[in-house]
Amino acid sequence: MAIVTTKKLMSEKDQGQEIISSVAMIVTLVSFAMLFATLMMGFAMFRITSPVWPPAGMTKPSLILPSLSTLCIFLSSMSFIWFEKNIADKRGLIVTIVLGFGFMLIQSLLWHSLSSQGVFVSSGIFPSIIYTFTWIHAAHIVAAISLLFWLLFSVLKENTPKVRIQASNVGKFWHFLGIVWFIMFVTIFVL
Amino acid sequence: MAFFEQHIHDAPKTFLSKYVFSFDHKVIGKQFLWYGIAFLGLGGMMALMIRWTLAFPGEPFPIVGQFLFPQTNGVVPPDTYAMLFTLHGTIMIFYAITPILIGAFGNFCIPLLIGARDMVFPTLNMLSFWLAFVSAILLLASLFTPLGGAAGGWVSYPTLSTLIGSPGIGQTLWCLALFVLGVSSTMGAVNYIATIITLRAPGMGYFDMPLTIWGLWLTAILNALFLPVLGAGLLLLTFDRVFGTTFFLAGAAATSGSGDPLLFQHVFWIFGHPEVYILILPAWGVVSDLLSFFARKPAFGAKATALAMTTITILSTVVYGHHMYTTQMSPLLTQSFMMLTMTISIPSAVFFANWLGTLWKGSIRFHSPMLFALGVVFVFGLGGLTGLYLATVTTDLYLHDTYFVVGHFHYTMAASVLLGGFAATYFWFPKMFGRMMNEPLAKIHFWITMLGLNGVFMGMMVVGYAGMHRRIYNPFVYEFLQKLIPINMFITYSALLMGFGQLFFVYNFIYSLVKGPKASANPWEVGTLEWQIPSPAPHYNFDVIPVVKCGPHELGNPNLKNGRDFQYQTEELVEV
Repeated sequence: MAIVTTKKLMSEKDQGQEIISSVAMIVTLVSFAMLFATLMMGFAMFRITSPVWPPAGMTKPSLILPSLSTLCIFLSSMSFIWFEKNIADKRGLIVTIVLGFGFMLIQSLLWHSLSSQGVFVSSGIFPSIIYTFTWIHAAHIVAAISLLFWLLFSVLKENTPKVRIQASNVGKFWHFLGIVWFIMFVTIFVL
Repeated sequence: MAFFEQHIHDAPKTFLSKYVFSFDHKVIGKQFLWYGIAFLGLGGMMALMIRWTLAFPGEPFPIVGQFLFPQTNGVVPPDTYAMLFTLHGTIMIFYAITPILIGAFGNFCIPLLIGARDMVFPTLNMLSFWLAFVSAILLLASLFTPLGGAAGGWVSYPTLSTLIGSPGIGQTLWCLALFVLGVSSTMGAVNYIATIITLRAPGMGYFDMPLTIWGLWLTAILNALFLPVLGAGLLLLTFDRVFGTTFFLAGAAATSGSGDPLLFQHVFWIFGHPEVYILILPAWGVVSDLLSFFARKPAFGAKATALAMTTITILSTVVYGHHMYTTQMSPLLTQSFMMLTMTISIPSAVFFANWLGTLWKGSIRFHSPMLFALGVVFVFGLGGLTGLYLATVTTDLYLHDTYFVVGHFHYTMAASVLLGGFAATYFWFPKMFGRMMNEPLAKIHFWITMLGLNGVFMGMMVVGYAGMHRRIYNPFVYEFLQKLIPINMFITYSALLMGFGQLFFVYNFIYSLVKGPKASANPWEVGTLEWQIPSPAPHYNFDVIPVVKCGPHELGNPNLKNGRDFQYQTEELVEV
């Protein structure tokens, strides 16, 4: 009898934790979304009011590297979904982390290629937007990768409902950053 | 809605874990209270210096002037003046009012009033305070940089705030300080929202929450939504200053390409207009509760009040353009913003009428919290009505750059919020510290403050209407403004009176903390959850999580049999 009660309490506690943490995670993501939405609003304002785009005789950067990083972050989100289906199998998470690092590598290649073409952060409004937005996004990616490592440590230690809640919340953040990058890719690089 | 068992943690034993790095929401609330009061004093001193300069241009500031400005023989220099009003605004809004109403009373009240043992994320809560502390250090450090602190106004419009307008590092530190503070407040907001949604005591629906909690909850939602907007703006401004991006530079100021200084104004006011509701909503909530508690009757239309506050929260997000009528906006836009802004007066009128309805035929007890709450009703009424003139495009074009604006927003933001904060302090002091504050001193404090602040802000409206500009170091170089010197002197004397009145509060606060009479568990005889536990509240708040059976405002019911004129929220509702 006593065991049954504890079990019931345990699951109730986990249920509570799940609701609390997902409410908090969603509120946090809404906050982050407002940050990126503000940046995109600023971009839209420049874009709409400018007679030609890109302005000041600039050309658009080549699509190769941004497309690669988009592919990278898309695959990492997919592998995370695969991992969430069965968190006992840690390969999905490891693939996500590797692809996350791959994304950061491609982003730094992008910055390097831009600066080697003589496009610096202070070269006008379009480079300002490219650099700044990708920096702010990359800062979030770095935070998210450390969260993935934190998740990896938890997964290696145990497989409990608590870890599953943790995985679903870290996942929300990771997918969110993927979506933000996709919007940036389409609006800044493609259009 | 307690979803899970909340454990009773062991009482903290060491000094550090009890008073410094405490996880307890009550201790964090008190820390925010001290932090806010300290900055309130600093911001108030800055206000006095500004007022002195405007009333007695060219005369040395008394007593501390010689020490602060030796190179000008104690006269406040023009660049320092710009820095003073910038930091006065910044400090009062972000470092005094936000910590006191949201930081202190948000932390202290939310778990106690909804019957929880603590916030859902105690660690995040502690981190939120210490980030705010870091932010304060950044801001104060900016005062000691070579060119002094930020001097671009609290709104920091480019190009005043870019490297052209303020080349010093002070402005960069200002941006960073506010960014860090924004992160801290967002952390707090996430915590408040999650706590209120998930940890309400069993039986407590949303409309059984005290209106204080409604106010704090809506504030937290606005914080979580709109602080990141300011954060984005500040990030871009910092990048402009540090990395040479050109978001806010245009024309000759930009070396290549072209940014737009106006973008910052948009971003700032998309945040800035909700911010004024972030500041006022907790005060509204507190006042709505206190009026009912001290008029000894149920809050008139409590549900309507809550819904009106919600409506205002929603409307506040779509009216920001009324701060920018004079930026050559298209008339189509200004008129849309005017109409939306005017719409806010409808829900405002609803809850204002509810306040009056609550007072109507009540047997009012004029204790100090009630006096301050009534003060809020008066000054907010005045401040709100003068807002209509600024919301109207035609009158705003004339009034926009005058002291009328200063008078208006000080009535709503400074006077109402300050009085609301004092009301909350006098009301919850017994539960916070277990002692009562001195009532006669509190009443003297109220009357002097009320007299002083009306003198100051009413005077500002008058000089503003007469055409005195609000951003000039010495307006009296213009002949047509010289006749306003006497009334400016009156404003300054009122400000000095108001400043003097706060000494009563400081003395009362510190004296009562040490020597005040011990408070009973329920000194004000009200029925919300926090008054059923001993004063001061124990570290675990409730030894048994209460079960809520009725609303927070069940007072003055003639059918109550137990010799009380109120019932606790845990008691079965007695029918009228």
